Amino acid sequence: MQNTNEAIITTHNLHKHYVMGAETVRALNGVDVEIRRNEYVAIMGPSGSGKSTLMNLIGCLDSPTEGEYVLNGQEVQVLDDDELARIRNREIGFVFQTFNLLPRATALHNVELPLIYAGVRSKERQRRASAALERVALGDRMDHKPNELSGGQRQRVAIARALVNDPSIVLADEPTGNLDSSTSEEIMDVFESLHAAGQTIIMVTHEFDIASHAQRVITLVDGKIASHNAEIPTFVGAAGHDFHIP
Amino acid sequence: MRMWEGIRLALQQIWAQKLKSFFSLVGVIIGITFLIAVITIVEGMNTYVREDFAGSLFGVNTFTVVRRAQIQTGRVDQAERRRQARNPDLLLRDVDVVVDAAPNALHVAYSADRSFGEARYGSNSRRNVRVIGGSPEYQLVQGWKIEDGRGLTPIDEQRGLKVAVIGSQIAERLFPTTSPIDNRVRVGGQRFRVIGVFEKQGGFIGNVRDASILIPFSTFNATLSRRRNGVDEISVKVEVEDLMEPTMAVVEGALRRNRGLRPTEENDFHLQTSNDLLSAWNTINTILLAAIPGLVSVSLVVGGIVIMNIMLLSVSDRTREIGLRKSLGAKRRDILFQFLTEASTLSMVGSLIGIAVGLGLADLVDRLSPLPATISVPWLVLAIVMGMGVGVTSGIYPAYRASKLDPIEALRSE
Repeated sequence: MQNTNEAIITTHNLHKHYVMGAETVRALNGVDVEIRRNEYVAIMGPSGSGKSTLMNLIGCLDSPTEGEYVLNGQEVQVLDDDELARIRNREIGFVFQTFNLLPRATALHNVELPLIYAGVRSKERQRRASAALERVALGDRMDHKPNELSGGQRQRVAIARALVNDPSIVLADEPTGNLDSSTSEEIMDVFESLHAAGQTIIMVTHEFDIASHAQRVITLVDGKIASHNAEIPTFVGAAGHDFHIP
Repeated sequence: MRMWEGIRLALQQIWAQKLKSFFSLVGVIIGITFLIAVITIVEGMNTYVREDFAGSLFGVNTFTVVRRAQIQTGRVDQAERRRQARNPDLLLRDVDVVVDAAPNALHVAYSADRSFGEARYGSNSRRNVRVIGGSPEYQLVQGWKIEDGRGLTPIDEQRGLKVAVIGSQIAERLFPTTSPIDNRVRVGGQRFRVIGVFEKQGGFIGNVRDASILIPFSTFNATLSRRRNGVDEISVKVEVEDLMEPTMAVVEGALRRNRGLRPTEENDFHLQTSNDLLSAWNTINTILLAAIPGLVSVSLVVGGIVIMNIMLLSVSDRTREIGLRKSLGAKRRDILFQFLTEASTLSMVGSLIGIAVGLGLADLVDRLSPLPATISVPWLVLAIVMGMGVGVTSGIYPAYRASKLDPIEALRSE
């Protein structure tokens, strides 16, 4: 068994700068983060704080301007496009706010997608994809297309897709942003059971009651870490209550 | 595995937007349809000309002595034409010269013919008929088979009997309900007793045989001929093709001697073979087969531009999907391959439809006209390769654009 205290993500002095005309926007300005295996972490911050940029870097969709990023023992900042694609395929399971399912494909086929790029053979793909769908309690909806599924079911298909290749981390970007509050709870229950089963989860959100499901909350302000373990206000407002820095 | 995936996806896209797909494929479909239809018809004509037309017009291993060339190949200038127009008529004594010169020939046949406005039996008539006065060998050299009754015999010829073997169209028109045998047809003011009916030839040149009336040469010479002892054709059939040239040479020499031509003088007659026709046809054929793929390419280029346009639209419509695929681990070449496969599948469907429609058109021509439509596999392969080529070529740029999309930007797009 792997040591649960082992760091799965370590960043050191992470910078991301964008040149916009004559100006340089410092989206991330020296970020040091450590996330251990089997942690359930929420990343919060107001818009413009750099949390999307940090998520893109952690998700290997982008490379830092400066600094180091080690994912599951591998230095990521030195990798080229194809190697980054391989890391995204093997190590990261994305869950998006807008689900991002292929509209014309069945649930099963949507879940199979990462396995196609991993070069898994058809039989094995179907076996693993249906197992992943069983895990999110959609075993009876495999042949349904996204428009035949409810919002919550769609997001569960997306979660199954994130899990299917057995990634090191599940990276969820506002996973309940398009769902009503009772469906949101249903999705949070899924994440909790995944976490209970040993999955490392990183979730970007701006909702306190969603963040409150995480073990730890990292807050970002102006491209820097404000807190590695922020307090969640005890009162929990209506879903969608915005995060404010006092 | 991933290729099937790509093809399946492409077929799904095509099926989901049938009308749009059809319009985007029109260029390719028309190009390939044209290619297949025209090639099929040209190849059919080819087979027809080589196997049926030339053979039935001239007979197999047969050459014909005529007064002047009927088929000209290449450029023939006015002077040559005028010179041939002065050639003397062929006469029966020329037949003797030919027979003496070619004792090894299988058959030597001679004939003269004349066209008439109509042939009648009772109140039935057939317009535009040709009466051929032929020696008994004529039917053999021409390869005309008897369907009903009998053909001409040497006795008919010797006695100058007023008997006739008639073509199938004449038999149908004049004798729709009764048997023509032993009835009398009237043509050119004469009556001939029908002794046989030729097998129906059908087709292009069917009219020639099917609307002909064959009577003994001696009878023709005595009744219908415009010029006494005049002969229009002397046909020589040899046993094998290798004997053609030597036999033609001795016949040519004998005729020249007989006419007292000096070595510097040109022939005042013409030796005609099916090669005259075949070489004329070959020239046309070669030009057609070289020109068609070129013409088709023009249409395919247009088709390719349309496909490229559709693929560019498709890439921008599906930017988000591309971003998603990249985030799930698709490499640049996976995306490149996906869109190339899609463009190729699209044009492939276009060429298959084109082939189907083209073959359908060719089949229609085959049924409605005497041309036998044939196609050889290399042309089908060419059609498929051209179609595929269009797809790959026009898919490259859109696929490259897709593969270069930034996953973050792509995921963010609407």
